[in-house]
Amino acid sequence: MTSRVTDVWGERTPYGPGDPWPERVDQHLTVDAARVERWVPSACVLCSNGCGMDVAVADGRVVGVRGRAEDRVNRGRLGPKGLYGWQANHSADRLTRPLVRVDGELRPADWDAAMAVVVERSRAVLDEHGPLSMAFYTSGQLFAEEYYAQALIARGGIGTPHLDGNTRLCTATSEWALVESFGSDGGPGSYEDVDLCDTLFVVGHNPAETQTVQWARMLDRLHGVARPRLIVVDPRVTATARQADVHLRLKPGTNVALLNALLHELIRADRIDHAFVRDHTVGFEELRETVAPYTPEKAEEICGVPAEQVREAARILGDAERLVSTVLQGVYQSHQATAAAVQVNNVNLVRGMIGRPGCTVFQMNGQPTAQNTREAGANGTMPGFRNWQNDTHMAELARLWNVEPSRIPHWAPPTHVMEMFRYIETGSIRFLWVTATNPAVSLPELRRIRRIVREAGLFLVVSDAFLTETAQLADVVLPAALWAEKTGCFTNADRTVHLSEKAVEPPGEARSDFDVLLDYARRMDLRDRDGGPLITWERPEDAWRDFTEMTRGRPCDQSALTYDTLRGSGGVQWPVTEEAPEGTARLYTDHHFPTHPEHVEDYGHDIVGGAQYDADTYRAHDAAGRAFLKAAPYQPPHEPVDDDYPLQLTTGRTVHHFHTRTKTARSPELQEAAPEMWIELTPQDAEPHGIADGDLVRVYSRRGELSAPAVLRGNRPGVVFAPFHYGYWDEAEPGRHIRAANELTRTEWDPVSKQPLFKQTAVRIEKVADARDVAPGRY
Amino acid sequence: MAETAGNKTARLFAELHEGEVDLAQHYRRVAERQAADHGTHYPCRSLAQQCDEHAARVRELAPRYGEHLAPPRRSERLDAAVGAVRQKASERAGTRPDAGLLLLRDLRELFLAAQGVHLDWVLLGQVAQAARDEELLADVSKLHAQTLSQVRWIETRVKSAAPQALVAD
Ligand code: SF4
Repeated sequence: MTSRVTDVWGERTPYGPGDPWPERVDQHLTVDAARVERWVPSACVLCSNGCGMDVAVADGRVVGVRGRAEDRVNRGRLGPKGLYGWQANHSADRLTRPLVRVDGELRPADWDAAMAVVVERSRAVLDEHGPLSMAFYTSGQLFAEEYYAQALIARGGIGTPHLDGNTRLCTATSEWALVESFGSDGGPGSYEDVDLCDTLFVVGHNPAETQTVQWARMLDRLHGVARPRLIVVDPRVTATARQADVHLRLKPGTNVALLNALLHELIRADRIDHAFVRDHTVGFEELRETVAPYTPEKAEEICGVPAEQVREAARILGDAERLVSTVLQGVYQSHQATAAAVQVNNVNLVRGMIGRPGCTVFQMNGQPTAQNTREAGANGTMPGFRNWQNDTHMAELARLWNVEPSRIPHWAPPTHVMEMFRYIETGSIRFLWVTATNPAVSLPELRRIRRIVREAGLFLVVSDAFLTETAQLADVVLPAALWAEKTGCFTNADRTVHLSEKAVEPPGEARSDFDVLLDYARRMDLRDRDGGPLITWERPEDAWRDFTEMTRGRPCDQSALTYDTLRGSGGVQWPVTEEAPEGTARLYTDHHFPTHPEHVEDYGHDIVGGAQYDADTYRAHDAAGRAFLKAAPYQPPHEPVDDDYPLQLTTGRTVHHFHTRTKTARSPELQEAAPEMWIELTPQDAEPHGIADGDLVRVYSRRGELSAPAVLRGNRPGVVFAPFHYGYWDEAEPGRHIRAANELTRTEWDPVSKQPLFKQTAVRIEKVADARDVAPGRY
Repeated sequence: MAETAGNKTARLFAELHEGEVDLAQHYRRVAERQAADHGTHYPCRSLAQQCDEHAARVRELAPRYGEHLAPPRRSERLDAAVGAVRQKASERAGTRPDAGLLLLRDLRELFLAAQGVHLDWVLLGQVAQAARDEELLADVSKLHAQTLSQVRWIETRVKSAAPQALVAD
């Protein structure tokens, strides 16, 4: 079985259009199968695909996993992370007791003492400085019930706008691209559309590494009869790109120019579904005008992609009868992120290819439960995709929570995490609670982040299962239960909900974040408008009931979805209502979009500059159930390459790791497969520096530097790639900050989604030592 | 048309041109002062660029109305300053507790300057209509819409920054 570390996608099971994706059950057990006492249904939490799996239990421990053959997402398959990642649960360095900083040192404490410190400081800060001095930063890796508890506590109890999720770093642009085009978050398609499509348009998305089981599905189509055509947009020659009919190897940061050229060609060749555009969209004229100058030649000039390839890609898109487009970080974390993601929506809209079998656009998610952070309002939106500028929506939320509407901050959009760190820097946020994420490695420009946390006099609480780089900076560390040690639901990138039930006890005194948040609410004595406790739940299922009730009537309506329905199911896609108790495969099948002013999740933005529209402006252009075709000209990036920093850094993921390796580095197989940081260079860029494969190189940006062995690959010349997973906790000298990719990145974010631009940094390289002079693990 | 429009329209072009040039400078100065406030710094740099483009287009349009406008001499000092700031952007202080108030003050000045330019575009739009100059009208509509977006962006920024600057301490 170990070969699945290298045989990433497993054996091919080719199939043709419209056939069901064949089953293939993948399993990894660390004990004899006969010793397994129970199989507990769950799903994998190591990427946004959400593969259904059963957890094997023996002697009160997880001893393996098996893909669920009946699950609609994976039909039994698991990728390397799914197969091996769970072993982190057993890691010897799990946090098993709370830690409290005393005399500058983190020392073990009991829960009572640790929570008393957290509550005492919360109260003091609140009394002295008010709710705007309190902030919460959560995750894309918890369960829906936990996010909902977090949102209720922060927005309804404390009354602070400062609650965001690390989903800001991974899927904020997905959310906003959907809102700007369709009026609401919620991916319109179903993974079955991959089974039915004749064309795949994969933009800034490398599913071969980031969603391996999704890629296995695409690969099986690519190996089956009536192979779909594949267009890939990526500066790197990825495993995904290698399968492409056309690979557009563009300059980083030029997505908008390329997509505009494709739209230009579709319009020029009249590959437009005019009836669909007329009846179901607004804004076509402006789009036509905006893309008019973007000839393939102009795209060649800006993007560095041969004009003929642009034409060829446009021809394929124009000939498609069933088009599935997918988008991920190559767009979301790059220049003009939302504007570019919206242009992909526009391709599907002008072709009339949405809401029909085999026709959709996936604005993919990064993390496994990011969709729930968004639904629960634990990121920069309000619960249930409610519109913060719509008083009716806010009154409804206040009624559900039984608090005064004025208690819930809605004078501006909820604060995004980059702004929170600015407020920490300027001293007005004094208390920050970080749950299940690791900003000390995952935020851009780490030197700045460390300085802010060190100097600002912040009180930092961190809930995690491990002593992460962020936890090491904390004043209080709370030991968290992991997946399989607690119960809750989560939703993948095609709206499939799974219930993951507690299979084993957490180690030591570790507790679920759900229990900790409820304990905090009790100790803080958070109350509703009648003086009753704000939170009356005891178990996650209580929270689930309220959460799903809260979604009633909203686009993410799950009001008829219960634990009982989910238990043992093969995954259920929302909306799930009394009318659609089995769930809903596709949104917008009637081509009616949630853009009505009363219904819309947000009045939207100027997608170029980020100005927020208000109700009046929105109503003046009432789309009345039609989708928006929002246009955007290409703008040059703020930090182009120059003589001093001639190369373009892009950061990203690798197949064997997830996020900051907190879990995956503690799985022996995954860690062994990718133990060390590396820097990917093209031979052309390496040559003038005399850099060969394996040589130690140093990379400098205007923000910092890092050092790692070089790997030479045939990417787009001028492009340097660094995986973002590696931090310092497993370093011999953790105080030497020259390993994390985010030492180099910049503090700039997309004006609409506020997602940081991790893929837009000018750098230079230098050789440090020959490969043979570098002892393994010592650099 | 150009004859009948006369000196008054020429003066309007000159005023609008000056307004855009000044506004561009204004954005650059704020970008420089707010180097540590990245949510202001980068958008201001984009908007400065947009004002430059507006000014250039005004220079192209003006001769038809008898006005010949010279491009502004770019302040090298300012460019150098912006360059230096870019290098040290995040290292700069900008951490004082009154940072929020200073930001609001900067945004307020920008707002007023952008409003002035907005009004000049309204005037020029009226001229284009009265003179039945379709080409001018098309340009004015497009560029005016961008100026309105600028105003809206400033308002957006003010709305999100104000509570933290004025209420939190
Ligand atoms: S594809 Fe994603 S969800 Fe599926 S097994 Fe791999 S990491 Fe887990």
